[in-house]
Order: sequence, then C-alpha cells, then structure tokens
Amino acid sequence: MIGCYDFCGHYEWTFGWLERVGGHGLVRDYWNEAINHDSQRHARDLIRNEGIPGMLKYWGHTLLEESPDLGFHISHRADVFRIDFHDCPSRGFLLRNGLNHYRDYCDHCMGWTGPMLREAGYVIDHEHNHRGQCWWEMRPASATGGHAAPGSVAGDKDVRLRPDWPLDPARLDRYCKANDPDAKLP
Amino acid sequence: MSTAPATGDLPYVDTKPQGSADFYFATNATFRFLLRRLGREGWIGYLQELGRGYFAPVNERWRTGGLPAVARYWRAFFAAEPGAEVEVRELPDRVEVCVRQCPAIRHLRAGRREIVREYCQHCYHLGAARAEAAGLTMRLQGGNGTCRHTFAAATTVLPPQAMADIAEATS
Repeated sequence: MIGCYDFCGHYEWTFGWLERVGGHGLVRDYWNEAINHDSQRHARDLIRNEGIPGMLKYWGHTLLEESPDLGFHISHRADVFRIDFHDCPSRGFLLRNGLNHYRDYCDHCMGWTGPMLREAGYVIDHEHNHRGQCWWEMRPASATGGHAAPGSVAGDKDVRLRPDWPLDPARLDRYCKANDPDAKLP
Repeated sequence: MSTAPATGDLPYVDTKPQGSADFYFATNATFRFLLRRLGREGWIGYLQELGRGYFAPVNERWRTGGLPAVARYWRAFFAAEPGAEVEVRELPDRVEVCVRQCPAIRHLRAGRREIVREYCQHCYHLGAARAEAAGLTMRLQGGNGTCRHTFAAATTVLPPQAMADIAEATS
C-alpha cells in the first residue's frame, strides 16, 4: 500500500518517474490536473469563493496538520496573504531521508498553486532556497511592482531575515507576480 | 493500531508519528491521472517501478530479514497511517496482513472523493513487485475497505493471483 506517512518521498519519486516517461510537460500537467484540479479541489473551492480568507482557512489547517511544530508563519492583510516557511515539513522530510529523485522538488508548490491562484485571480511572489526555507506572497492579479521589502508583511518572522538566508540571488529560485512554475526570474 | 510507529522498521522517517490523511487524496488523484494519460499498463508500470525503486530499502530488509522483517514493517507501516485497523499475523510459512479498515478508503469516503475503481489493485501490483525483489511472493484478497495481503517465500505454493479476487473500490 502507498501510505501517507512518507507521502513526500513517493510524491517526489513520482516527479522523476513522470519526467522520464513523458518529459517536463507531463510533470507540469500532473501538478495542474492531478493536484490542483483533483487532489486539492477543496483548496481551489475555498480560495475561488473566499479569496484571502479562504487561503487562511486552507493553509491554516493543512500546515498545522503537516507541520505541528510550527515551522511556518502566516501573515495576512486585506491585500496580501503571506507564508514564511522556516522548516518546510515536506522538503525537510526529503533532506532528512536523503531522497533526491527530481531536480527541484520545491517546484511542485508553484506547479499546482500557481495555476490554482491564477484561476482565483491572484499572483505570487516567491523565493525558495532548496533547504526547507521559502516565502510566498499572494496578491490580487492587478498587483504590480517587485518584491515587498523584508519584514514589511511578516515582521521579524520574515524568512529573509534569517542569518542563513542566502544574500546571493543566484542561490535562490525567485518568482515575481507569477503563476507558472517555469517563470523563474533569471 | 494507533500507537506511534516503530520507526526503526520504516525506511524513511518523519518527525511526527502519523501522516496527514489528506495525502490519500493525492494518491487517488495520481492514479486517476496516470490511468487517464498512460492507460492501465502505464499505471501498472509506475507501481512496479515504484515498488522496485523507491521501496528498495524495504525490499532489501525483507530479503535479508525474511518474513519476520515483513511482519515488523507492516506493523510499523500501519501504526503510522491514521485510521488504520490492521492485524499482522505471523504464520510458519507466511505473513498475513489483515486490513479491517483501510485508512485510505476510509478517508477518501469521508472526504467524498470519487475513488478510482482500480484503487485496491495498486496494493497488489506494488506489493508483488516489492515481494519479488525480496525473493518473496504476494497475494491479495478482498478490497474496498477490508482485505488480506499474504507474503510468503517464493518457494511456498500459493494459488495464483486472480484479479477477480480484488474488489473494485467504491466511493
């Protein structure tokens, strides 16, 4: 039986298998069709119907279940919803167990949430460091400009204020007002 | 079986005692996607490769530890799956995993998900590939919430697996 205890392990293995069998396009389709439109349809429904309050309901519940040690912090205002991951439960599982079958596991988050939020009318600012730390800001699709300054939304919980957060942008995968997993900033 | 798992018997270990049941939604959705895009043979191939690849550390423990290792693994496995009601029986020539309440089927129904009708077959295709890699053989009977997995040495004579013995899953 495929279990849920080590889900992140076989989920990540599946990305690598899909890419070998059907290329990058099949991985993208998997994130959008299987995860966004099927598995996580409860998230889609909440966010499409309620916007930022729906994001709070969805991520507030699911992150508490996945990361009861609170390796994350949620901030929200009327115009922005933000999550700072200081210890991603999912990436952390892979790192602790030495699992690496796909070139960038972290891409899966933008792979399904990007299309989901586009359909709900939101864009995403995001950076991840591949080591279990990342941040996300979701704003209405009319938002413009670059990334908000560190601390301006999450205060001292902003993951970019950590002493181990890379100062060199080349060590980060970065997105600005994006919805596509392949829309990384150069 | 709701106690914390004996994590030393699991190949991959998390910091929390049990997984998040909502991940069963993703497994069900993955099967639906693979069946639609790659067909039944593609889905079976995925499960067999998953069994031989991702589960290789388990298979090796089974190969070297034999049936006692199989029993220890399944006890630890189901202790980490929320909502599972399972008895693992160690018999002289086989291990029987008697699932009285499948945690996945239970949660998919509770979440009002359309369960892929082939869902229960995944335990056979995955389990048989893992057993073969470990020098064992595996059979599955039942499904749709309750079932029995049998693991035995490859030399043990068991009736051939009839796919009709595996029930279709219903929502």
